[in-house]
Amino acid sequence: MSNPKHLHPLSIIFTLFKAYKNAFYGLLPIIVLAIGDGFLGWTILGLGVLTIAFIIYALISWRRFSYEVDSEQLHIQKGILIKKNRYISKHRIQSIDLSQSIIHRPFGLTKVDIETAGSDKDVDANLSAVTMTEGRHIQDVLKGMKQQTAVFDESKELSNEPHRLVSNRELLIAGATSGSIGVILGLFGLLFSQLENLIPNQLFNATTTWLFSQALETIVFLVLLIVLSLWLLGILGVFIKYGQFKIIRYDKELFITRGLLEKKQMTIPLKRIQAVGIEESLTRQPFGLATVYVVIAGGEIGQTADTHTLLFPVLKKSKIQLFLNRILPEYADVTNDIHPVPKRSIPYYLLRSLILPTLIVVGSSLFFIPSVWIYMMTLILLAIILGLLNHRDAGYNLDQKFLTIRFRRFTKETVIIPSKRIQAIETKHHFLHHKQNLKTFKVSILSKMSGRHLWVKELDSDSNDEIYDWFQGDAQT
Amino acid sequence: MRQPPKHRIAEEAIKAWRLTAFLFLFIPIAITIGAFILEHFVDFISIWIPIILIIVTIIDVIVTPFVIPKLRWRRWKYEILDQEIYIQHGILIVTQSVIPMARVQHVDTKQGLILSNYQLATLTITTAATTHEIPALREEEAANLRDLISELARVEQDDV
Repeated sequence: MSNPKHLHPLSIIFTLFKAYKNAFYGLLPIIVLAIGDGFLGWTILGLGVLTIAFIIYALISWRRFSYEVDSEQLHIQKGILIKKNRYISKHRIQSIDLSQSIIHRPFGLTKVDIETAGSDKDVDANLSAVTMTEGRHIQDVLKGMKQQTAVFDESKELSNEPHRLVSNRELLIAGATSGSIGVILGLFGLLFSQLENLIPNQLFNATTTWLFSQALETIVFLVLLIVLSLWLLGILGVFIKYGQFKIIRYDKELFITRGLLEKKQMTIPLKRIQAVGIEESLTRQPFGLATVYVVIAGGEIGQTADTHTLLFPVLKKSKIQLFLNRILPEYADVTNDIHPVPKRSIPYYLLRSLILPTLIVVGSSLFFIPSVWIYMMTLILLAIILGLLNHRDAGYNLDQKFLTIRFRRFTKETVIIPSKRIQAIETKHHFLHHKQNLKTFKVSILSKMSGRHLWVKELDSDSNDEIYDWFQGDAQT
Repeated sequence: MRQPPKHRIAEEAIKAWRLTAFLFLFIPIAITIGAFILEHFVDFISIWIPIILIIVTIIDVIVTPFVIPKLRWRRWKYEILDQEIYIQHGILIVTQSVIPMARVQHVDTKQGLILSNYQLATLTITTAATTHEIPALREEEAANLRDLISELARVEQDDV
């Protein structure tokens, strides 16, 4: 029924983009240097040649790329000099996701990501541009009967499957508390420090003189304005990323679509879920908000480098139980009964959170401004508070089937791990710990890249033994 | 209190580690000699730099081959149970690991020049998320353990 097909010609453009992107970091320093040394003409010539080479490369690779779908497998043929044939058996395919960027959408095209188990990128396949109907056809054929409903279709009713949509209000809350303002602020600062070199000196001087000649109020106002607009930018970012977020629970998989400009689809087979985590960041915790994520084994490295995948942009902490009941009842037993770390481990927590700030304070008052240490004491105070919070929030709970551990670095995280997903457990102690009957507990689970290792520091030795016994007992049944 | 694992690794491990440590001493000694030569020829290097280096080197010569291997060996213990592998190591910070048999993906033995000189081998246990090593076992014991673990691990595994 099928013969080898080519991708939509638009994929040439994607290949071109990719080639530029890959070359960018290598070329940038050369270009900057060349322009600086007055080789502008040569640079343009070089870029021209490169562009032509890229276009030829993109054209040929489009010509040579073909794929073929039948009821048993996907066959991909590609390669310019070395011909590569790849056969992916239907049974090995974990998920097929369709996503559309803004370039795809006007043409009614979609990108198809085919994922197999394992995190080796080479084993996965993606078709950078096919028509929407073709994409759905591939999904149907390769997924068989398994998941007819999970095609990308807005109009389809979701009445019988458990699902959850995001509302604009929730998106607004998610954006407002995302804390990405810090990140953007950092980027902004970095950009500015680079701009300093590019802006003509005169202009730069004029601006700075103007700025410093202003009254303090104006400067404060300007700073506030910048911060506010960055905050709004952060909200906008969340709207773009998580707009029209929708999660649907099918029998054996979770299905997520999201994105305002770029439609993204993601299928998470349940058996690949290694753990469920609840994350309360410093900006969200005061409002009783949290996000829920899952740790997934293998796959998808090319798309997101995150170690975990959000199940919902933001939720009220009290609603998480309800959410999991509906979407992921296997993990719905969220416990609040966390056994804390003993009081005698407080010094260790304080010490850890104080090391860096102390170094900063001592360093800056020694080498720069001696009197600054008074202000820096706030930093120390914050570090002490953080250390105490880290201590208060650390703990664990054992259940029939689940180990729940809670800890905080900055963000408070509660991770629910089924015993059969634990790869190894470990304890560490040195001789001071030994005297105080403390041990640091570590549990390893599988995540996208390799392992994810979670610690509860300075836990009571007896608690460690308890977890060990639980784990051992469970392994034997 | 949970008991530490029962078995020790081969006592020849101390010799093998000592030999390794001696070989690695080449680096600090070479740096120290280099520093003395530099000090002789370059004016702005203070005499204190090579002196400090030589003190550090002397401490290193005493500690790494003569103290550390023994302590390390004394701490290193392991136990292979039906359902799990239990390992303890670490001189100052003691680490105890438990690896369920069902999670073991593969076991390897490996042997470098130094270890083979003493008829020793290292056993490596890999799970999907972690890697563990039992260093310096007697060759035949390493091979036996490898076969035993792969036998025990051959139970139905959850698909991950």
